[in-house]
Amino acid sequence: MTNSRPLSIPVILGTTRKGRMSAHAARFMVAQIAKRAGVATELIDISKLPMPVDDAGDGVKDPEFSAKMVRADALVIVTPEYNHSFPGLLKHVLDSCLKEYIHKAAGIVGVSAGPFGGVRAIQDFLPVIRELGLVNIFWDVNFGTVSKVFDESGKLLDDAFVARADKFLNELIWMARTLRYGRDNIALES
Amino acid sequence: MAKQKDKMICPKCGDEMNHHADKLIDPVKPEDMKHVNPALGGMVEEMHCCPACGAAASRRAE
Repeated sequence: MTNSRPLSIPVILGTTRKGRMSAHAARFMVAQIAKRAGVATELIDISKLPMPVDDAGDGVKDPEFSAKMVRADALVIVTPEYNHSFPGLLKHVLDSCLKEYIHKAAGIVGVSAGPFGGVRAIQDFLPVIRELGLVNIFWDVNFGTVSKVFDESGKLLDDAFVARADKFLNELIWMARTLRYGRDNIALES
Repeated sequence: MAKQKDKMICPKCGDEMNHHADKLIDPVKPEDMKHVNPALGGMVEEMHCCPACGAAASRRAE
């Protein structure tokens, strides 16, 4: 059985900080995904989600975010590196869902003011991705020294990122299609 | 642990769903404790997907 719905790959902008450069990276990724035939995308800005902090997990689930995660076949998660890790509010948002993520693909985009492109945040993030039931791909996109990658308006200044995003998305889409086939057609051994 | 064999029906479109994963869930509330599988160290949730519309659903394994 083949599901003919277009793939859905939203981009999660994982920071609420004012003046965040990660927003440029997230919009760039949305534009790259939008070029792909048969793939739908949108930007999900965690700062726009009604996510209270007086509870956690299922207790703060936002129905609209949950519905988007159900629709998604893969996630692109854009995370800055804050104090060598990813933002706590990003995890707070992701922790609000679970069944929505199982056997879906994830790719991480790291952003940093310094030269390492969020690699420490990404490494920290991998066990979380795994426990959420997502399947992480082996390509990342690393926006190091991000102030030199985008100008203030968000215009890309380094075209090498187009090729890097292309490789990342090739793998993510392959994984998304494969996992969708598995979710739809391959039953768990029992 | 005996598995539930009956197919879940998609709450959105009514098609049979595919049971594609079991996920170990940490107990959060006190009442969850009675559902913990001592051999596995948590609660087991069955994950189902609808091949027709892509909806996801889950239920506790029994």
